[in-house]
Amino acid sequence: MAAVRVSKCTRTNPLRATGSPRVTIRRNLATRAGGNGTTTVVEAKKERKPSPLTGGGTLDGEKALGKDPASATKAKNMGSDLASSTFSDSRWVQGTWDLTQFTGSDGNTDWDAVIDAEMERRRILEENPTPSSLKEKVLFDTAIVPWWAWVRRFHLPEAEKINGRAAMVGYFMALVIDGLTGTGLWDQQNSFLGKVALNIAVIGIMFIGSTKDLDKFKGLWSEATFYDDQWNASWTGVERPEDDE
Amino acid sequence: MQCGTRATSVKVGSASATKKVAGSRKAVVMCPGLYQGNHQRVSVSSRGGVLSSWASGGRREVGVRAVIQDGAKLDRPLRVAIIGGGPAGACAAEECAKNGCETYMIERKMDNCKPCGGAIPLCMIDEFDLPPEIIDRQVNRMKMISPSNREVDIGSTLKPNEYIGMTRREVLDDYLRQRAEKYGTNVINGLFMGMEQKEGEKGPWTLSINNYGEGATSKGDKAREKMELEVDVVVGADGATSRVAKIIDAGDYDYAIAYQERIRIDQERMKFYENLAEMYVGDDVSPDFYGWVFPKYDHVGVGTGTVINKPAIKQYQDAIRDRAGDKITGGKIIKIEAHPIPEHPRPKRIEGRVALVGDAAGYVTKCSGEGIYFAAKSGRMCGEAIAQRSNQGQRMIGERDLRVYLNKWDRKYWPTYKVLDILQKVFYRSNAAREAFVEMCQSEYVQRMTFDSYLYKTVVPGNPINDIKLLFGTIASILRANALRVTNGPSVTFGERKEA
Repeated sequence: MAAVRVSKCTRTNPLRATGSPRVTIRRNLATRAGGNGTTTVVEAKKERKPSPLTGGGTLDGEKALGKDPASATKAKNMGSDLASSTFSDSRWVQGTWDLTQFTGSDGNTDWDAVIDAEMERRRILEENPTPSSLKEKVLFDTAIVPWWAWVRRFHLPEAEKINGRAAMVGYFMALVIDGLTGTGLWDQQNSFLGKVALNIAVIGIMFIGSTKDLDKFKGLWSEATFYDDQWNASWTGVERPEDDE
Repeated sequence: MQCGTRATSVKVGSASATKKVAGSRKAVVMCPGLYQGNHQRVSVSSRGGVLSSWASGGRREVGVRAVIQDGAKLDRPLRVAIIGGGPAGACAAEECAKNGCETYMIERKMDNCKPCGGAIPLCMIDEFDLPPEIIDRQVNRMKMISPSNREVDIGSTLKPNEYIGMTRREVLDDYLRQRAEKYGTNVINGLFMGMEQKEGEKGPWTLSINNYGEGATSKGDKAREKMELEVDVVVGADGATSRVAKIIDAGDYDYAIAYQERIRIDQERMKFYENLAEMYVGDDVSPDFYGWVFPKYDHVGVGTGTVINKPAIKQYQDAIRDRAGDKITGGKIIKIEAHPIPEHPRPKRIEGRVALVGDAAGYVTKCSGEGIYFAAKSGRMCGEAIAQRSNQGQRMIGERDLRVYLNKWDRKYWPTYKVLDILQKVFYRSNAAREAFVEMCQSEYVQRMTFDSYLYKTVVPGNPINDIKLLFGTIASILRANALRVTNGPSVTFGERKEA
C-alpha cells in the first residue's frame, strides 16, 4: 500500500478557513497510522475525487485524437449549420446503385466506377451522418461486386510492391546463407532448411509488408489476452478449488 | 479501511501475544461452542473480551462478538447480509433465506426506476420462474443499422415462442425482492454507509446503515435512524458504484457511460416499434459501443454509450436522435438518465467473507452490454454456494467456500464472455468493421447462432462447415469494407489502456 499521506487543505478557500482536513483524508490518516505502527508525513496533496466522466477508461491526450463524434454533429451543437454536402447521386436509385448506369466501354459493368461511387458515398456519410429513413432504405450489398474486381483494384497494385520486396529479401537471405555456409543457390533449394527459409521470407513479407504492419501486430497479442487477464485477476496467487469440492 | 487496521494491529501484537495464546486457550475451552476446531491465533481484543467477561463472572452471549474460524459449527444460523436489492441481491437473498441462513437485504430505494434497456433473455424467464405479467413487450425483430444506413432485419429465424422480453426494471426488481422476502429475508429499507470488522479477519462484520423505515424513498425522508447490524458474511450486490467493493479494496474497472432519453412518440410511430428494437452502429453514434432505440411500455428509450470518450456523450446522443430520424420525430423527452456500466470484472471479487455479485463485480458482457441475467445468476450462484458450503447455515464459511461460487461462475460463463469480447474487438473497431458486421448479420446462419446463444446463454458449437464459410465470409466482408474506406476514420483498440 502507498505510504501514509497527510493532506491538508492548501487552497485558500473561504469555506475552509479553519483549515481542517477533509473527512476522507482523516480516515486515511487513521488507518495508515494503525497499519504501519508509525506515522510518516510524506507530502501535502490535494485529493479531489475524479469526475465519473474522466475515469474508467476514458482516453486522454494523444490517444483521444480523432475519436470525437462526426464533425457535422459537433458543428450543429455549436450552432453553425454546415453547408453539408449531403449525398445525392443520380445513379443511386431506391437504396442501391443502379448497375445499368455503370456500363463501361465494352458493355459490361464498370466495377471500378461502382467501387468509386460507393467510396464517395461512404465518405460523405461519415462526415455528415444522415438520418435513417424508412422511405429511403439503403439496400446496397458490397458482395454483388465480384471478387476479381476487388482483387484487380486493391490487391494488384499492392501485389507488385509486395512481390518485389519478397524477391529482394529472398535474394539477400540466399546471399547471406551462401556466404555463411558455402551452399549455392540451387543447393539451398534442395535442403529442407532452405525451403523453410524461403517460405518464411515469402509469407513473412505478405504479413509484414511494411513497417506500419509491425506496430499493428505488436498490440495484437496483448489485446487478445487482455480480457483473459482481467478475468483471472481474482485468482492471482490463489488456487482454484477442485471441481468436486 | 478499518477492517484492515484491526487485522494488522492484531498481527503486530500477536508476536508478543503468542505466548499468552496458550494460556488463553484453557479459558477458551471452558466456553463450549465459542471456539471449536483448529485455531492458531486468537485476536487480542476478543481474548481480552473473553477473559474480562470471565473475570466479571458473566458468560457473554455465545456467537455475538466472537471470532469463529471457517468451518466451525454454529449453534445459531449463519448471518448473511446482502447489500443491494436489485436482481443480484434479491436472488442471492432468496437462496440464502431458502436454505436456513439468517438473511438481511439492504436496499435504499424500493421503487428505483433504473436506467436500463430492460431486456431479458428467454432462459431467465424459465430459470427464475418469472410470471408473464412482468414482460411488457416481446421483441422478436431487431434492426441493425450500419454507419452508411444499411439496414438489416434480424429475427426471421426465431421460432414463434422465442422472443427477447422487455421489462420495466422497477417491476422486475420488485417482484424478485418480494419473492426473497417471502422466503424469509429481512428486508431493510436503508442506505448502507459502511462496515468494519471489529475483531479481526475472522470476526463478524458490523454494518452501519441509515434505516429509512418502511416504504420510504431515499430522498426527502425524515425518518432516518442509524442502525448497526452484525453479520458473518456480506454479499456486495450494490451495483456499478459499489461501496462494498471500495471497502474491500476490490480495485477499479473501466466502465462505459450509458445515456438514455425516454421519448414519448405518437401512437402510429409507436406501432412501428411494437415488437422491434433497433441498434445503430457508427462513429457518430459511439466510437466503441452502439446506439439503440428500445421500446418500453408506452414510450421508447433512445440512448447510446461509450467508454473512451465519455465527455462527448451528449453529442453522441444528439447523433443517435438524428439518425433515428423521422421514426421519432415529434417525440417528447420525458426522462433523461445515465449510469455507468462496467466493462470487465474487478481485479478482486472476493475478500475474506465478502463476495461481490452482479454489476458490483463487473459481470456485464462486452459487445451487447447485457447485465440483468448475469447479475441474477451470479447472485443465485453465490447464495447457493453459501447455503451449500455452510450446510444450510449451520457452519461458518470462509473465503475458500465463497471462491467455489467464483470458480463455478468463471467456468460456466467464461466462453460466453470471451466470444462477445472477440466480437467487440473485431467488429467495433472502426466504421469499416461495423459495416462488415451489419453485412454479416444478413446471413441466416449468423442470426440463428446469435439468437441461440443470446436466448439460452450457451455457446452453441454449430456446424463446422458453416463455421468455416462464416469465417471466410467475415474476412471477405471486412476486407471489402476496409477497402471502401477513403479517409482513415477513428479506429479503436481494446487492449490495455493507460490513461493520461
